[in-house]
Amino acid sequence: MDAAHLITTTEAIDPVFMFIFGASLVLLIGITVTMMAFVVRYHRSRAPEPTSKVSANIWLEIVWTGLPTLLVLAMFYYGWSGYLALRHVPKGAMEVTATARQWSWSFTYANGKTSPKLYVAVGKPVKVELVSLDVIHGFYLPAFRVKRDVVPGMKNYAWFVATKPGSYDLFCSSYCGTGHSAMITTVEALPEAEFDAWLNRKTEKEEHPGHELLEKHGCLGCHSLDGTIKVGPSFKGVWGRKETVLTNGAERTITADEAYLRRSILEPQADVVKGFPPVMPSFAGQIKEAEIGQIIDFLRSGAAERPKPDGGRLAKEKGCLACHSLDGSRGVGPTFKRLYGSRVQVTQNGKPMTVTADDAYLRESIRMPAAKVVQGFQPIMPTFPELKDDEVEALVEFIEGTK
Amino acid sequence: MSSAEQAQPCTEGGFWRDTGRTGITSWIFSTDHKRIGLLYFYSTFGFFLVGVMLGLLIRLDLMTPASTLMGPQTYNALFTVHGVVMIFLFIIPGMPGAFGNLVMPIQIGARDVAFPRLNLFSWWLYIIGAGIILTSLFTGNGPPDTGWTFYVPFSARTSTNVSLAVLGVFTIGFSSILTGLNFITTIHRLRAEGMTWGRLPLFTWSLYATAWIQLLATPVLGITLALILAERLLGTGLFDPTRGGDPIMYQHLFWIYSHPAVYIMILPGMGVVSDIIPVFARKPIFGYKMIAFSSLAIAAAGSLVWGHHMFTSGMSDTAILVFSFLTFIVAIPSAIKVFNWVSTLYKGSISLEAPMLFALSFILLFSIGGLTGLILGAAATDIHVHDTDFVVGHFHYVMFGGAGFAFIAAMHYWLPKFYGRRYAEKPAIVGWALMFVGFNVLYFSMMVLGLKGMPRRYYHYLPEFAPLNLVATIGSWILALGLIIMLVNLFRGLFRGEPAGDNPWGGATLEWSIPTPPATENFEQEPVVTHGPYDFTRTGEP
Repeated sequence: MDAAHLITTTEAIDPVFMFIFGASLVLLIGITVTMMAFVVRYHRSRAPEPTSKVSANIWLEIVWTGLPTLLVLAMFYYGWSGYLALRHVPKGAMEVTATARQWSWSFTYANGKTSPKLYVAVGKPVKVELVSLDVIHGFYLPAFRVKRDVVPGMKNYAWFVATKPGSYDLFCSSYCGTGHSAMITTVEALPEAEFDAWLNRKTEKEEHPGHELLEKHGCLGCHSLDGTIKVGPSFKGVWGRKETVLTNGAERTITADEAYLRRSILEPQADVVKGFPPVMPSFAGQIKEAEIGQIIDFLRSGAAERPKPDGGRLAKEKGCLACHSLDGSRGVGPTFKRLYGSRVQVTQNGKPMTVTADDAYLRESIRMPAAKVVQGFQPIMPTFPELKDDEVEALVEFIEGTK
Repeated sequence: MSSAEQAQPCTEGGFWRDTGRTGITSWIFSTDHKRIGLLYFYSTFGFFLVGVMLGLLIRLDLMTPASTLMGPQTYNALFTVHGVVMIFLFIIPGMPGAFGNLVMPIQIGARDVAFPRLNLFSWWLYIIGAGIILTSLFTGNGPPDTGWTFYVPFSARTSTNVSLAVLGVFTIGFSSILTGLNFITTIHRLRAEGMTWGRLPLFTWSLYATAWIQLLATPVLGITLALILAERLLGTGLFDPTRGGDPIMYQHLFWIYSHPAVYIMILPGMGVVSDIIPVFARKPIFGYKMIAFSSLAIAAAGSLVWGHHMFTSGMSDTAILVFSFLTFIVAIPSAIKVFNWVSTLYKGSISLEAPMLFALSFILLFSIGGLTGLILGAAATDIHVHDTDFVVGHFHYVMFGGAGFAFIAAMHYWLPKFYGRRYAEKPAIVGWALMFVGFNVLYFSMMVLGLKGMPRRYYHYLPEFAPLNLVATIGSWILALGLIIMLVNLFRGLFRGEPAGDNPWGGATLEWSIPTPPATENFEQEPVVTHGPYDFTRTGEP
């Protein structure tokens, strides 16, 4: 699509505003001035008695029925043609799926990347598919004059194009409950090159074939990707790491390179990292040579370095902070401030009880919000099945740190 | 007919005295249309004042972007209850119930409405429904938080007291249906001799058009609300897409009633203005037939435009095309009325007393409300301002600046007739001026905010919207101050003011031809009407 000939949604809608407001203003001024003039001219102090008894005029009625009819038909026509511009998505538009839930937005791109903000490339039309996970929401971009309800069970869409880089407000426009006004985010319009770089930046969600193989062969049961020490050493940062190993009972220092990793897969007992039990079975014969290459490639790429999730960022992105304040103020749910370790009055299965807000309680409240509901609050928190265990831990840690 | 000097101008004479019962039962079991009218007046106007308080609290919360005056749950309940109270407990029942009952039977030369006991029953249904709604605020999981529109799926899921509130509105719906039935029958069957359709006062004409909407559209509301109850209590899944239901179908059902209901709210107000303007210009209304006809046209065409509340919902583009077109068609009869009102002033002898000031400001505010409605009727522009403060500003111009100002005009115009005493003029004008200024500061700011993109029903908002929200809140205080001055003056006057006389304004409709306050059955003998409602050469005679 040639950006120079692309009519943006704003360019399609604003002239209709100007036309209707302009015509309305003329009418309003006409009515007001006429009314005021009559009131002044024929005020009882100037006109003690009425000077006319005329009470009907068929020609006047025809004129002031006919002219407004023509005017409103013109408004109807411009309104309709402007609206069509909102419905006809330009060819080659980038498709993004907006998922709305009480009370946050999530945007998913064709390559699987997800983001709590809607990143777009300047000059490139974007078609947004609208999906609701619960009630009706509204996808509203004031700067682009675009709005469409996000209705459960319906496939609605909207499109827009940003012509200038910048940050634009994105609101939920259709009332969706307690956290409605907190359900806001932004459109981030970036120059195309910058956007492409952002879009292709690797995130943990992108599956490397080596990653799949690690899962398939059960490697991750003992070797974590996030630095956690399990039965075996973590894969996090393993490439090029200096390790002290025991080779036939003798300590030596090696560098985890391709040869070392290959040997560890095929002959795990050959060099055992100090401090770990020599329990790993050999995968010789179970794993193909090409697969070993992919696993090593994955470990080398650094993608295995799944960073520890940032609880603060998650709390914001998942919409937790829409309901749970950090400053002690009362929101839809209890504040996080000084929550950790405090005694909390909750209701479980209709029975009141007191619990301590420890790790287990917080973990349960994130996984099963309805299990124990703090007294005085509504049992309306949704579940977040997409959260991984380490993300829940990060959230718990974040809440613990909110003093 | 007795002159002002001879009448007993106090609330001891006329229908105030003639009753077999005493005390409160002489009111709540009375079948006299004037007593029932005053019951409606006190109850609906009482709820109006409650709605005003809630509205002021909403504005107070919105004074700053992140107010901590209340929690979000409280705020959401506030705007829900504000809407439910103002719409279902004040505007819809208010004008037909209070002034329709007080004035309409007298205007057509009747002793009462066609079914006086049914009339009383309607009021009782209203009070029972109002009681249920009030109960819903203080019981269960707290007041409803869905907005007055009760949109599914949210209204089917929220744990707040939606079921009880819906049941209350359901009950009030029957009150409205029965009032409509009663008024249609009354206007058809009980007109005095000589009161031809062409001599019917325009207020009565507007009530007639309104009554048809009440009778025909309200059952749809009843069905819709019953379906919400079924959804909540039985889990029928009618509006749940995972079980074959459709949340958009709910919106259609809701607006099939609730858009015509907008005309239930505004049509009687137009009737009040059509009656007041000729009296204070001492000139027959211009285009009587066109005004009467346009009321019927609005009632008919207004029943076919509900879809313009749903342009963003995802309904088909064909539906949007049709509903947008019909919406523009319904604008025409409203424009005809405005042009005829203004023309009535031409070469008249205009007196700017309080009822006239409220009526003239009605024309201006209603025009702004109507013209901004064109923005909402056009598909392209509606998309941007739908669900923003623009819509909130627009419908307050129509509902408050229109129906509300007409109600206050009616209070100043007709209440002295029924209380026998009148208010002081100067404070009434001060009250009017403050209300007019405050109103525009408040709601015009909101319309600008909506154009800038501020969504409605927002508890907190972005700092870019702060200055105009502060202005709007200040406007709400000016409006409230004007309202207080207006009310204190009016009620002090009604109970302790100067005698009103039989015909303080020089009106030519029948209510001004009988003693003040009117007797229980209005007329000593059935009048024979000999002239039109705006023939000011023959005021005082039937």
